[in-house]
Amino acid sequence: MVILMQGKIVMPGELISEKPERISYSYVDNGKTYSTVVGLFSKGKLVPLQGPYEPLPDDLVVGIVAEVRFSGYNIDMNSPYMAFLSSREIRERFSMSDAILARIIKVDEVKSIDLGDAKKLPKGLLIKVSPVKVPRIIGKKNSMVDMLKSATGCDIFIGRNGYIWIAGKGDAILVQKAIKMIEAQAHTTGLTDRVAQFLKKQK
Amino acid sequence: METLNEIKKDTLCSLLAAGKRADNRGMNDYRQIKVQKEPFQNAEGSAVVSIGKSQVAAGIKFSIATPFPDRPKDGILSTSADLLPLASHLFETGPPREEAIELARVVDRGIRSAETIDLASFFLEDEKVLALYIDIFVLDHDGNLIDCSALAAMCALSCARMPKVEDGKIVYGEYSGKLPIKEKVVSCTFGKLNSRAFLDPSLDEQKGMDARLTLSTTSKNLCAGQKGGWGTFSEKDLSDLFDIAMEKGKELRALV
Amino acid sequence: MGSSQDKPKLLTNGKRIDGRGVEDLRPIKVEARVLNDADGSAYIEWGKNKILAGVYGPSECIPRHDQSLYRSVVRCRYNMAPFSGLEGHGRSGPSRRSKELSKVLKEAFENVIISENFPKTQIEIYVEVLQSDGGTRCAALTAAAVALADAGIPMKDILSAVAVCKIDGQIALDPGKEEDNFGESDMPMAFSTRTGEIMLFQMDGLLTKEEFSKGVKLARAAAEKIRKIQTDAIGKAYEEPKTERFLTIKK
Repeated sequence: MVILMQGKIVMPGELISEKPERISYSYVDNGKTYSTVVGLFSKGKLVPLQGPYEPLPDDLVVGIVAEVRFSGYNIDMNSPYMAFLSSREIRERFSMSDAILARIIKVDEVKSIDLGDAKKLPKGLLIKVSPVKVPRIIGKKNSMVDMLKSATGCDIFIGRNGYIWIAGKGDAILVQKAIKMIEAQAHTTGLTDRVAQFLKKQK
Repeated sequence: METLNEIKKDTLCSLLAAGKRADNRGMNDYRQIKVQKEPFQNAEGSAVVSIGKSQVAAGIKFSIATPFPDRPKDGILSTSADLLPLASHLFETGPPREEAIELARVVDRGIRSAETIDLASFFLEDEKVLALYIDIFVLDHDGNLIDCSALAAMCALSCARMPKVEDGKIVYGEYSGKLPIKEKVVSCTFGKLNSRAFLDPSLDEQKGMDARLTLSTTSKNLCAGQKGGWGTFSEKDLSDLFDIAMEKGKELRALV
Repeated sequence: MGSSQDKPKLLTNGKRIDGRGVEDLRPIKVEARVLNDADGSAYIEWGKNKILAGVYGPSECIPRHDQSLYRSVVRCRYNMAPFSGLEGHGRSGPSRRSKELSKVLKEAFENVIISENFPKTQIEIYVEVLQSDGGTRCAALTAAAVALADAGIPMKDILSAVAVCKIDGQIALDPGKEEDNFGESDMPMAFSTRTGEIMLFQMDGLLTKEEFSKGVKLARAAAEKIRKIQTDAIGKAYEEPKTERFLTIKK
């Protein structure tokens, strides 16, 4: 469990390059580049180990309808920024507390988010995870989430914003436990095997 | 977020209908409880208790005070609670909210009704008595802060020391024996949704449930009770939960 | 600073009341990620100080009229538990000292937090002193810096704080409680150790230019040691990942 994924953990203020570079989550001072976060630095890329969600166009997100307005819906996305879903973008009507899967269409300079392509999710359970761990929960080519789905019989909808929706008649509690485990150990190697073991043991 | 509460309610309903809880606990099981006694040496007594992911610190301090005019021969017991902003994104800075006040008063009621502390023994001389302050600092909120705080307060009292009093003043840092404790009081809090009652609600369960019932007990008696939230309890509910509280109380008391 | 009556001898043959030399830090232990709800958290034991720090954010800035369109608003609250001091029951509600410290800590962090990334939001820093033993503001800042890193708040550096004092005419590092009360000067500082820039600076008492310079150098060197303790604590939280976190306090 102590084996970290490739790369070394860097701290805010730590030198990551002797030259000025344009790397996400870093800054340049006097011609050198430094990290701004606690992250894994490898092959010129810096991936934060913790932190808020940075919304990007085309991201698939899970949201909850927080407010029904005249022209659309305000969506809670586990983010300090409220997202808006225009009625013109969709054919269905939604109500308060509906869970939806949607795509980010636009993010403006003050980070207001416009959503589209939304569909209502069936009755289920909401889990919140740290947004930076989402790629690991999905896995390379969906390997991790597919394993969770087949082992538990649940439908799992993962939002890049850290909201995960679990529906269907499978063992939702098991999914929740597995996801929390992945979240805690996202930065380690051999995780896929350990999760597979864990799921097998619970059967 | 109010909308999230609706979702928690749906989830909770489905789980309870199937006789299950989100963390696979039984209806009358506590989450893992950890107790740390005397973590703070500047206080006359202290404890840090965690139930599941909820964490609460309690500290005991003595001072000299003037007694209340209607009880001139009794010492003073005062309990207060702080729902610290770092405990939950739901808590803000500012004067104590009604939840903090209710928490403090429920914990206090149990300790006082059971006469855990002999307040008459705190009398020093005319117009001078000892005052004992219990301060509850809620550090991390994942539900059932009442039981966690009550247990922390009781553990702090059980390891507290009497301060040395000289010439009508307290000599801090010097002590004159342990604080005598007559009873060990513990509380059991239940949540209720539809017709199901369950012990030690986690925060998710708290967000979805209707009513809450806290019953504080000594080894023989009920010594405090408080219902909160929406919803109702039947007579049978109260009777059943009384029995469960007395039973579970033994487990908690063993930790003090 | 206390009165000169009953003033204990703070330095005897180069040794202080607690046996330390003039350039020694008290023992410091830091643990990151000790709370479950907060976005970031840390706990520090520095001498007998026991301080908990929690961070939330970036989250929606409330009240709305405090919002900035250009950056995240940083808020900080320094608070002492009523049972934290040896004497009597502390008062409820923030004292003037607590309010001043809240402001000074906030301004130190505003210098390093890269807040332009999160317009219209707020970042909240809460520090709770559970037990005090002199030098609480430096311990508080040091813990808060770890909590901010734990929350993933982008910063230019992890700040490290330490104070120097003058006791019996000598400059000494990291005053304990008696030295705080009876020393001739107290100078707490916080550094971004990467550049040596000073983000927090306060001072009282009397110092010559020479004493002042000596103090700053001593503090800067100590800050490097403290930063290593902070980064070790952060690294450890990742080496030993947990799904449930507990605050563990040494007796």
